This record gives sequence, structure tokens and C-alpha cells, in this order.
Amino acid sequence: MTDVNPAIHQAIQDAVATSLPELGDVNFDAALTSDVGLDSVQIMDLVMEIEDRLDISIPVEVLAETRTLNELAVRIAPLCEDGAA
Amino acid sequence: MSLFDKFAEVAKARADLDRAEIPPVATPIDAVHSATEGTIGGRRVILAGTNNYLGLTMDPDVVASARDALEELGTGTTGSRMANGSYANHAALERDLARAWGWPSAMVFSTGYQANLGSISTLTGKDDYLLLDSDSHASIYDGARLGHAQTVVFRHNDPDNLDRRLRRLGDDAKRALIVVEGLYSMMGDQPPLEEFIEVKKRHGAWLLLDEAHSFGVFGQHGLGVAEDRGVVDEIDFIVGTFSKSLAGIGGFCVSRHAELEHVRLAARPYIFTASPSPAVIAATRTALEKVVHGQALRDQLWRNIHQLYGALNELGYTLGSADPGPVAAIVLPDRESALAHWYGLLDAGVYANLMIPPATPKGLNLLRISLSAAHSPDQIDRIIDAFGRLQQAA
Repeated sequence: MTDVNPAIHQAIQDAVATSLPELGDVNFDAALTSDVGLDSVQIMDLVMEIEDRLDISIPVEVLAETRTLNELAVRIAPLCEDGAA
Repeated sequence: MSLFDKFAEVAKARADLDRAEIPPVATPIDAVHSATEGTIGGRRVILAGTNNYLGLTMDPDVVASARDALEELGTGTTGSRMANGSYANHAALERDLARAWGWPSAMVFSTGYQANLGSISTLTGKDDYLLLDSDSHASIYDGARLGHAQTVVFRHNDPDNLDRRLRRLGDDAKRALIVVEGLYSMMGDQPPLEEFIEVKKRHGAWLLLDEAHSFGVFGQHGLGVAEDRGVVDEIDFIVGTFSKSLAGIGGFCVSRHAELEHVRLAARPYIFTASPSPAVIAATRTALEKVVHGQALRDQLWRNIHQLYGALNELGYTLGSADPGPVAAIVLPDRESALAHWYGLLDAGVYANLMIPPATPKGLNLLRISLSAAHSPDQIDRIIDAFGRLQQAA
């Protein structure tokens, strides 16, 4: 978790609180499907919430290669720097 | 360790459902007696869980067309139009479809699924962008996966959300294809099409509209919601299916851009598959005529729609969409009550669709009724009575 941009981390945390409040404190190292038990629709809702908070577009191809929120944070960091998808 | 390990969870869910004498998923239909009646579990039931919106599957003219083509041209084409020959009736159906919209180009695919798969994966390449409504059908998502465009999802029916994503693309938005549906079959809701068109035009993007569930139902000639809202010529591509109002199997893409013809040369789901059987093509040509000139059928369908929607609202059910349409999605509080409703309806002689997560938006548990012009007023009354008894028993 140490090398993740704090702003991105916060945005993800806030997005989880809005989109999936039932999860409570989410473990950023947990696998979203097998550990947390999210289905594809829930993951898509969460990603759209993150996109709105960071004003970025996250290509769905990124999601296919992402298992955990930490991995997602690392993958979207360059998008935040570019300011565009 | 086995290749099949990954199916353990879904197999268990299926086994749980299959424990019942009549499973609510992949329900065996023992016999079909008409467009709206069949036998399930030894009981004659009203079919209210098919997509036979105009009831044309049993239309005598449609059936006769299929029978004639079967006898004249045989059971199958045995190959791809590109590799093994293109039958005259396949090309004639494409001309019929293009003429219906007054557009220059149409392509026929072997299924509706392949129509989206082939159109979406081929229209956009690796330097292009796809913007998909989050509630899109699996065939749209799979079209994105088969192609090489960068794909971004926007919030369901939210033009502002789409606008933000196009804005981020800057000039590249001119190479972006937006995909929305005319009628979302899970909830039965329609898109704010005029607003999407405004956003598309502002950014110089392209718009593909999937009218799979809306074709035949909306518009003076049954062409779908774009015709109904008077915006057909603002749409770039319209995809549809033969397996609902057209009562067959297959799919199509029509376009106001003559260059759609180029897609035929590169769409793998079009090239590398057998073309539809001659009987399906012949039946679809006849059904298309009936749809385009089918205002009486549409009037009957809409009478049924208003009767059912009105009654369900009066009974206090929560519906997936406030706008009436051929799909009535009843939102139930949990899986158990959705299952109880499904079996309750079946006991009352009504076959509906059970829709549960992850197939549904927002994790909702739904019971879905699909209406048909072929449903008689008495059948609609019986469906409503069944809901009324379930509501009283709850």
C-alpha cells in the first residue's frame, strides 16, 4: 500500500463507502471477486464511482488485469497523471 | 486440480435451483401450442416469458414462407456467405432491411449476439474508442472484448456521465462509438435518446443503437425507439435481432453510412460462421413485412401493455421502469420472494422469467413478464389475477 498515491487511495476508499457501504473497511490486498465476493456488476459500479471522483476514464481492459484494489490503484495512477483515459 | 474447478460456485447455484421439480432457470418447455401457450411440468400455461412480442412465430404466412424455402432450398447453407456462396434471399433480406430504414446498407448475421459482436468489434479498431452504457447486454460487452478499441463504461442512461468521458477524449472523441440500447430488457427502461444524440453531436462521436427489444414494438413502422422519437437519421448504426419481434433467429446491422459494406470484409463473427438457413431467411422476410405494416398488432400489444402495467401499479408492485413497455420487470425484495413469485405464477398457469444477480443491475431480484400482441384479453386477465392472489397471500 506504501507506494500508492494517497489521493488515489482516498478516492478508492470513498468510492467503496458510496458504492458498496455494506463492505465497511475494505482490505486493499483482497481479491475483489474471490475474497470480497463482488460480482462483475458491483465492480463496474465501483469503478464508475472512482472515475467520477478522480475525473478519469478507466478502460475496461485495465479491470481484466486487476485483482485487488491495490493493483487497481497502481494501474490508474498513470491515468491521473495524463488527465485523460 | 481440474479445469472444471472454476465452475464450482455456479454449478452449486444451478444445483440448488435444479433441486425443484421444475427449475426456474432453463425451464423445460414440454410443448408449445401457440404463440402464447405451452406445457410445462404437465400443465398448460400462458407463455409470458418469451420475447414473442408480435406473436409471429405461429403466423401462418411466416410459417408457410419457411416451409416453402425449406422444400425449395434445403435445410442449411452449410457454410459462410464469404466462402461458400451467398444465397439470393440473404441479399434480398438485406435490401428489405435497408429499405425499411431508407438507408443504403444492411448486413445480416446468423444470430443477434453475433450482430453486436461483429458490428462492434469491427467498426472500432485499436486507435478507436468504445463508450458503453453500463447496463449493456453481454453481446455488447463481448463485442468490445473481441475488438481492439479502448473501452470505457458510462453510467446507465446518464448523458452527463457520457459527456464527461467524451470530453476527456478531446479530439479523439471523433473516433469514439457510443453504444446504447432502445429498450433494456432487464428493467424494461428506455434511454434518453435525444440527450445522448445531443452529446454525440457535440463531440463529433458516432452512435450505435441496439433495438433488439424495441424493434417491432415502437414507431409507426415498428422500427424501434429511434423511429418513435423521430431521430432515426441522427443514429449511425442500428443493430437488431430476428429472434424477438421477427420470430426467427439471426441479427442485423443497418446504417445510413454506405461504408457499412466494408465491415462485411473484416467482421469475424460474420465471415467465419455459417449463414442463416434458407427457411429462417424466408420467414424473416415475411415477418419483416408484417412488422413494417403491423400497426394493428402493435395496437393490440400496447393495449396489453397498458392493461398489465396499470394492474401491477394498482396492486402496489415496484416496476423496473415507470414507462410502460413490452417487458414488465417486477422488483422483489429478495431472491426467496422472487422464487416464491415465480413458482406461484407457474402454479396459477403463468410462465414468467426469474432474473437474479449477477445477471441483473444493482443486484436486484426480478420477475419479468414479456407481453405479446398474441396474448388475449382473457390471458392478460389471468396473469393479473395470478399476481393479485400472490399479493393477497404475501
